[in-house]
Amino acid sequence: MSHKMDTNKLEKHYWIWPIAWYLFLGGLGGGILFAAGILDMVFHAGYILALGVLFAVACLGIGSMLLIFELGQPKVFLRVFLSATAIIKWGACLLILAMGFGFIYFLFWLPPEWNLFWYPWLWIRDLCAVLMALFGLCVVVYTGVLLSTMKAKPFWNTPVLPVLFTVSALSTATAALALLAGMWPSYEYILAMIGSDAMAQAMAGEVLHANKEVMMEILHIADKILVIAEIVVLLLYVLTTRASGNLTAKAVALEWISGKKALLFWVGMMLCGLTIPFLLYQLGGVGAEYVAPVLVLAAGLLLRFMIVYSDRRRSMPGEEQYYRRLPKGDERFLQGWKAPY
Amino acid sequence: MTRYAMVMDQRRCIGCQSCTVACRTWNELPMDIIYNPVVSEGVLGEFPEVHQTFTPLICMHCDNPPCTICCPCKASQQDEDGIVWVDETKCMGCKVCVNSCPYGARDVNHDEGFVRKCTFCKDRVREGEQPYCVATCHQKARIFGDLDDPESDVSKLVNRLVTERFFEELGTDPQVYYIPDLGGVK
Ligand code: SF4
Ligand code: SF4
Repeated sequence: MSHKMDTNKLEKHYWIWPIAWYLFLGGLGGGILFAAGILDMVFHAGYILALGVLFAVACLGIGSMLLIFELGQPKVFLRVFLSATAIIKWGACLLILAMGFGFIYFLFWLPPEWNLFWYPWLWIRDLCAVLMALFGLCVVVYTGVLLSTMKAKPFWNTPVLPVLFTVSALSTATAALALLAGMWPSYEYILAMIGSDAMAQAMAGEVLHANKEVMMEILHIADKILVIAEIVVLLLYVLTTRASGNLTAKAVALEWISGKKALLFWVGMMLCGLTIPFLLYQLGGVGAEYVAPVLVLAAGLLLRFMIVYSDRRRSMPGEEQYYRRLPKGDERFLQGWKAPY
Repeated sequence: MTRYAMVMDQRRCIGCQSCTVACRTWNELPMDIIYNPVVSEGVLGEFPEVHQTFTPLICMHCDNPPCTICCPCKASQQDEDGIVWVDETKCMGCKVCVNSCPYGARDVNHDEGFVRKCTFCKDRVREGEQPYCVATCHQKARIFGDLDDPESDVSKLVNRLVTERFFEELGTDPQVYYIPDLGGVK
């Protein structure tokens, strides 16, 4: 037998790292589509954020692939659209819609010299900006709702969780946008449209550069606010579960506050993932431009991992004792008893 | 109408695990999967009035099962008579249902990939036989029958004795009733 037998059903994690990545990438991709869509609508900043949109579509795609590969029987996957009630089905639909509209939107930012026939249909681009923002937000909320509706998992089953996931997704999205802003398509895109007048080009170049600075400023301020909000919601989440009447939820929250996950929580999440990025944003410079966004992204991933692995189920009376007594690490011995017929 | 249910008489259960073994044989379960463990608590009480409780577990075949509505593939389903089961060929193995069952009644074998759970031995039951664990229990601690039939053992027990169900506050309406080991007539 290739894989280790896990007989303790109470401690077994049925969802592992691919799901954590799926939730992270779903939130990140959805969040970017939402933020980029809104920023394009309000500031017409599409040319600064277009690469971010492509990145978001890739995130959603990779996230979905991870989910599919993690399935026990991936061949059956297409049945996913049969159910009307399942949250996973809604998630799959929302992911496809968000990816689709994001991709169509991006098609309008391909290099102008390619002269693709759809370039003049700007209303499609603007429509896609609205739709990708809408479905992006839905994907973000879905990643939280998927976990929070599970009554069997006391630590997940709280309405604070979708709020936390949403805030965290938006903060990672803003961070990613800040990292990618202005990298591509380069200003030539706009300059080519202006024509060959050198004077006009120089002036436009300056304006565009200034615009990028302003956009970065906006993104940094937004991320600062989101990071503060995330600290508040995260504390709220852990403290409300700590104070809840459910003993299992309480035990897991204690694990976060002072148990075996405390170091990850306080030092990893709270300090390195949220407080330090906030200070770096405040200080400006290289720290704000590169280090802070990377830390925020890492914190988002860490949060998904910590939550996915906090999946304790409430024990039935005596169940804990039972599973502790079952043999562990005896796979080969047990396998040896397999009847030859 | 038929509504299959089970009563566990904890006054009678001696924790011998015969039902667990029987189930594994009848359903040819993979090595790491158990449908119906018998767990124990104790020693409880104060000397000299001490006792130990044995709790035979199983899928509760809930009336409001969270494990079927969450299945995107319509593989996890409930029949008219209340039996909740998984169609192995339709299950993609996303494990949403495993995570949504508060009773830990579902499991996956890594090599098989689909979700397994107790089916109340529906193939036997629909032929008029008892589930294998019930047929095996020499203590008559597992009692199975149709709750909608007032003459059945299960309805008589549920109506006349004090019974308990696990995690009722979750609204799953579990259909396995426990007669506590110190319980008795209403
Ligand atoms: S006990 Fe679990 S698997 Fe069985 S019906 Fe209830 S929720 Fe579903
Ligand atoms: S693991 Fe299988 S039975 Fe369970 S929800 Fe997923 S597809 Fe349905």
